[in-house]
Amino acid sequence: MKAAAEREPRFPAWLGSPRMIAACSVVVGIGLWQLGYEALARTRYFKAYAIHHFLSSPLQVVQAFGELYRSGELLRHSYFSFLEFAYGFLLAIAVGIPVGLLMATVKKINYYLDPWVSCLYATPLVALAPVIIVWFGLGILPNSLVVFLGAVFPILLNTYTGIKSVKQNLIEVVRAFGGSRLQLFFKVMIPDATPAIITGIRLAVGRAVISVVVAELFGAEAGLGFMVYFYSQRFLPGPVFVGIVVLVVFGIVSFLALEKVQGWLSPWYAHQLRRAAHGMEVEQP
Amino acid sequence: METPASKLVVQNLRKSFRSQRSEGSMQVFEGVSFSVQPSEFISLVGPSGCGKTTFLRILDGLIPHDDGEILLDGKTVIQPGPDKGFVFQDSSLLPWRTVMDNIILGLELQGVDKRESKKKAERYIALVGLAGFEQHYPHELSGGMQQRVNLARALIVDPQVLLMDEPFASLDAQTREIMQAELLKMWNQTKKTVIFVTHQIDEAIFLSDRVVVFSARPAKIREIVKVGIPRPRSLTVKRSKEFLDLADHVWSIIQDEVLKSMGREREEGVR
Ligand SMILES: Nc1ncnc2c1ncn2[C@@H]1O[C@H](COP(=O)(O)OP(=O)(O)OP(=O)(O)O)[C@@H](O)[C@H]1O
Ligand SMILES: [Mg+2]
Repeated sequence: MKAAAEREPRFPAWLGSPRMIAACSVVVGIGLWQLGYEALARTRYFKAYAIHHFLSSPLQVVQAFGELYRSGELLRHSYFSFLEFAYGFLLAIAVGIPVGLLMATVKKINYYLDPWVSCLYATPLVALAPVIIVWFGLGILPNSLVVFLGAVFPILLNTYTGIKSVKQNLIEVVRAFGGSRLQLFFKVMIPDATPAIITGIRLAVGRAVISVVVAELFGAEAGLGFMVYFYSQRFLPGPVFVGIVVLVVFGIVSFLALEKVQGWLSPWYAHQLRRAAHGMEVEQP
Repeated sequence: METPASKLVVQNLRKSFRSQRSEGSMQVFEGVSFSVQPSEFISLVGPSGCGKTTFLRILDGLIPHDDGEILLDGKTVIQPGPDKGFVFQDSSLLPWRTVMDNIILGLELQGVDKRESKKKAERYIALVGLAGFEQHYPHELSGGMQQRVNLARALIVDPQVLLMDEPFASLDAQTREIMQAELLKMWNQTKKTVIFVTHQIDEAIFLSDRVVVFSARPAKIREIVKVGIPRPRSLTVKRSKEFLDLADHVWSIIQDEVLKSMGREREEGVR
């Protein structure tokens, strides 16, 4: 015991933390990319095949970012994309949750809606997007509609299964106390389904980001997807990667933020997950 | 027939479930009758699958029965309500609620004022020995503590009858014995009428005034065993001769029933 306490660890503990390892992994990856690019730039293939039209180094991406930012172009495109994302995503939540709840609780409604939900869910969005653009023209609203279609189903279906898989014994508890159906719904079903609903919303974030790009590829005058497309047509890989990186960062940040919300709304669920992940060794607070 | 003072009367109860696979139905109860005195502690034992849980659920009004009558204080039982408290086998606590909020659930469903409920809950939290854990969540409690919350949750609505379905089945032997002693203490203080389902014969005898032994399905009452051991009982009575004789007796009836039902199943299998 004593010997172990006296021995100086070679590295401070935080250096070995999972977060730190992940960060190192990313830094090393980007470093290798930069080195690889530099090495390639010194070969004769670089000029021969005009590789700078297809590839760019991390430093060049940073440089392109600075230029796009200073010119205001990046903000303008981000603003458009963000609006499309926000409208479509919020509408998906506003529609997905209530419809999922209705389908899970009223059998009749489920019978009517189920075939439509199944069909639309199975339809590739990439095939649907051009049709929507043709119908509604260019602009933020038609693109939001594409985002909505991309995001609504994970939310709807997770809400549905969340309610359907509410634990029977909890339902029975409320019944045994003489609780009404309304009380059952609000005091057991909704809280028990909340983690599943938020999981649906988290899955929807990824699909919504993809939908923004898909919609803008088919028709837009602005937006990050449009920007990526525009510069790739002009063989300028720097701005293309800037667009991609901004989209990725946005997706990751939203996903993690929702994870926080989930932990905050249902701490007991986070605990169950941790318990499942680490066996029973969960510290008692 | 029943004396007018009976707390709970079950008359000629019949129940069958429609079976999913074959045509027809599966008879669970074939005319069960007995009555329970106020403040009496009754245990139900019987072979596995004979219908003990079903019996409690019918008494609570959670599921309907086919025929016969169930009277609580002379009034027919039709639906669950605060006059009966159900203690479920798995503690069935709402994981998103603290101990306090789980315990006041029944009052909340009745629309009792929250401040008032919480004041009332203090007493029951003390009664089950959980003072200091009011703001803990179920996942922060041990199995035994969860069962205490389960118990307090049923007691706080001040039911006439407490229906308990193997509440200690998931506990280890030591915790189980402690909980048995605590339950008796609480029963002494509150004087509830209790119907307690268990698989443990010694638990049934230790707790009860009478032990009702069910036959194999279709269940009838095989025997009602009166436990004359004076109260208050300490855990040491479990080693007394009187206790062991009673346990032997109950055990032989159940074994007999289990063998009979196995024989019957074998015959049905041959046919
Ligand atoms: N809802 C139901 N539908 C159909 N059959 C049922 C239903 N509930 C119980 N049964 C059947 O009724 C019989 C009695 O079940 P019950 O759960 O009451 O037995 P039990 O005595 O509590 O058993 P155990 O001691 O194992 O807990 C079983 O054969 C079971 O399969
Ligand atoms: Mg049972």
